[in-house]
Amino acid sequence: MNKPLLTIGVLLALSVPLAAQAGPKEDFNDLYAKAQSTHKDAGTFQWTVTSDRLEAAKTAAADGDYEKAEAMANEALKLAEESVAQRKKQQEAWRNVAIGN
Amino acid sequence: MLKAKVILVAIGVALAVPQAQAGSTPEEDRKETVEYFKQMFPDVAIEEFVNGQYALDEDRRSQWESMQDFPPYEFAVAEGQEMFETPFANGKTYASCFENGGIGVRQNYPYFDTEKNEVITLELAINRCREANGEEPLGWKKGAIASISAYMASTSQGKPISIKVPDDPDALAAYQDGKEFYYSRRGQLNFSCASCHVQNPGKWIRADLLSPTIGQPANFPVHRSKWGELGTLHRRFAGCNNNVRAEPLPAQSEEYRNLEYFLTYMSNGLPVVGPATRP
Repeated sequence: MNKPLLTIGVLLALSVPLAAQAGPKEDFNDLYAKAQSTHKDAGTFQWTVTSDRLEAAKTAAADGDYEKAEAMANEALKLAEESVAQRKKQQEAWRNVAIGN
Repeated sequence: MLKAKVILVAIGVALAVPQAQAGSTPEEDRKETVEYFKQMFPDVAIEEFVNGQYALDEDRRSQWESMQDFPPYEFAVAEGQEMFETPFANGKTYASCFENGGIGVRQNYPYFDTEKNEVITLELAINRCREANGEEPLGWKKGAIASISAYMASTSQGKPISIKVPDDPDALAAYQDGKEFYYSRRGQLNFSCASCHVQNPGKWIRADLLSPTIGQPANFPVHRSKWGELGTLHRRFAGCNNNVRAEPLPAQSEEYRNLEYFLTYMSNGLPVVGPATRP
């Protein structure tokens, strides 16, 4: 058995899953970018609580606490999605309650 | 068969045209809104709505009347007058930018500028006056701009609010945008301006007694006990948005100026009473 070849083979086999799996920083960055863009999509219907979560996520990431950062970004994304739904609903719903329509 | 199709199309058109033309004029909106509040508060004289919650609650009114012996905004109004009359570096004053030298004109603001295609509020006109005369603009929400605006409002006290929506599609669009903003629910708490001030005036929301839509802008700039100073209407807009967890928009943004345009139009005919006090 060729020992160096075997060692290289084992090392390569071990590195494949590591390369395929993104790190917590990359996971967070993707999630944060999605939350931020959804928040922006809410336009003039943005929620303060979403901004707060985004800020908290950024701070946690800067401190290297990616578990907390990801949790905050997840909350921000959910809140941002609700605010976008509100914006879409209100495009017509306001007429139903306005005086003079 | 063809005849039936023609009849169906004709019926469709006949139904669709009035739908497309539906939508009331600003004046129809205002009259309907006034009627709505008259029915909601039959014992309150229409002119009294400019006093907001003080028109609806006797205890609050008596506290306010006591406060009026020494109104907390008096010094700010005096400072505003001094700033208004002090010449800029180029020797001109604010008076040079306004009709009638800026005296007794508050009731005409905001107006729609058909050349610039935008709503001009009094505070915007004050800052544009400064910039046209080589001065730095003031902050929008409090301080000097609120004092100058308060002095100008004080020279209009008692004059009926007279906002015009000219026969211009852009002016009407600005009015409609303001109306849409007023009635659209925002923020995590899912409140619109109307949720409080159309549907629930006279009721308490925590420690705040809600005022009705009509008359609201007549008392600005306002000295709030909560602020401990004078603030502009856009400061209040931002505060309301924030209260319902909606991200406030910048003071004097197009959205807030259009909102002020709609809201002030609803108070047409009511007297200017600003500056005033609120809790």
